[in-house]
Amino acid sequence: MIAIEYFLGLSAILFAIGAMGVLVKKNAIVVLMCIELMLNAANINFVAFSAYYGDLTGQVFALVSIAIAAAEVAVGLAIIMNLYKTRDTIGLDEISLLRW
Amino acid sequence: MAIDYSALYPVMVMVVFAAALPAVHAVARSSRVLAGVSLVGIFVTMALELMYIVSGEYPVAIGGASVELLRLDVFAALFALVFLAVAFYVVLASARYVEKDRHQAEYFSLIMLATAGMMVVAMAVDLIALFAGLEVASISTFALTAFRKKDKRGAEAGAKYYVIGGLSSAIALYGISLLYGITGTTNIAGINTALAGMGPELDIALLLAIGLLIAGFGFKVALVPFHMWAPDVYEGAPDPIAGLLAAGSKKMGVVLLFKVFLVGLIAIKADWQLLAGVVAVLTMTVGNVIAVQQTNIKRMLAYSSVGQAGYMIIALAVATPYAVEGSIFHIITHAFMKGGAFMIVAALAYVALGENIANYKGLAKRAPFLAISMTLLLFALAGIPPLSGFVSKFVLFSAAIDASQIADQSWMLWLAVAAILNSALSLYYYVRVIKYMYVDEGSIKDKIKVPWSMTAAVAICVIATIVLGVWPDPVIDICEQAARTLFAG
Repeated sequence: MIAIEYFLGLSAILFAIGAMGVLVKKNAIVVLMCIELMLNAANINFVAFSAYYGDLTGQVFALVSIAIAAAEVAVGLAIIMNLYKTRDTIGLDEISLLRW
Repeated sequence: MAIDYSALYPVMVMVVFAAALPAVHAVARSSRVLAGVSLVGIFVTMALELMYIVSGEYPVAIGGASVELLRLDVFAALFALVFLAVAFYVVLASARYVEKDRHQAEYFSLIMLATAGMMVVAMAVDLIALFAGLEVASISTFALTAFRKKDKRGAEAGAKYYVIGGLSSAIALYGISLLYGITGTTNIAGINTALAGMGPELDIALLLAIGLLIAGFGFKVALVPFHMWAPDVYEGAPDPIAGLLAAGSKKMGVVLLFKVFLVGLIAIKADWQLLAGVVAVLTMTVGNVIAVQQTNIKRMLAYSSVGQAGYMIIALAVATPYAVEGSIFHIITHAFMKGGAFMIVAALAYVALGENIANYKGLAKRAPFLAISMTLLLFALAGIPPLSGFVSKFVLFSAAIDASQIADQSWMLWLAVAAILNSALSLYYYVRVIKYMYVDEGSIKDKIKVPWSMTAAVAICVIATIVLGVWPDPVIDICEQAARTLFAG
């Protein structure tokens, strides 16, 4: 059996890549993908801990969060498409009407 | 074994009505009919929740005694009532606000679903249910923010809110996964038991989990330094939805913090109390200082909302039932004060009055009722007696002073001092709006006529603000029960 540290290391790296991407990337779709990376890092944690404890709760949580993430992406893509239609851009640095 | 779902009946009523609204739209193409049907649904749910509170008998928890998932108790019922009251006046004000828009059925449907999600969060005793409810409410409000698809500012606000909301969910979920890894359970009270058994040493993973949870939920509540999105989103969203976000969605974030920190992590409260105190003081100060410079009324209300969240978080730092009682009462009063102010902005936007504070010059002569309502609500926000904001702030701040009597907690006195100074500061920018309305002469002098449904929504908020200020005892009693239930786990 693979030791749990490896899973936690993988998830930490994924989470860090995702967080970094959200901070530096300007394209809304790329940012969306980075958020998905972060969510999946958490899912890896859940499943790894679930196997470690021999407890099913973590797997249930991972399934629930996958379903929720799918719903979130559906709404998110619609919002980004609408942004492109009204503003002709999906660059997050180019949308700056709302500012003081 | 059959599962008893009676604890979910109020949520089910909301969801059934939300699902029925598009069908109603096919028959009657009028936003007033849709709003009417939504109001019936909200009213039935409120009656159900009120029945539970008055009778004091609650349905059995869902999920069995060992692994509870959702529990309807006085805390959950009270918060459900707050969220429903917010949804009630938001729907009432929206009846005419969206009359020219397309997709009206979806608009009201999403308001109902968002409210249902918030009610699930208030009932959750397990992190799975908590996260699911949080996401139902968040996803609905993302769509609502970008509801006016042709509106450039709405589209931008929706995209910003979506990115920030998704990021905060991901951060919170990672924090939750670490918490599950440390304790081996997702039951909130179970997490506390497990942590209490581990002794006082803090391992790095637990510290990381606390940080991620404060950051993830802090985005939802718009705590400093995670507040930057709030003014943009409130400004770009349709006005009634801005009210729903400030009065409903933000309160759900506070409930999340209460549940996770005051129930799940109370055993190690010494580790995060000071952090929560620093965040509270930062939040109220930054919110109020930036609000002073705003010229757009919605941005000003948004920053003042950030400041008010700082007051509510005092309860997290103090972590006594008395403080939580004050915080819950402040959440209730704030739901009406801030929501009412946004409804006035919505009503004035409906008659095409701009969002700039300077546009409100001479409003006292043009719309006397709205001007006096705005004055009352702003005075309540600043905490002037005998309005509700004074009572709730009084309870909250005195709880902090009370707690500072105990040794090693004298720093909590500074929470109260900072909060009182901030209240004084906030009075400055509230009074500026009142001066514009009453003292200054506007260039246009015609009377403003506002639809009665919007007037009614504002009237509900004003009446609630006055009644809660003059006669707060019954509600404070329920808040006390709710706070005790929360601490009982």
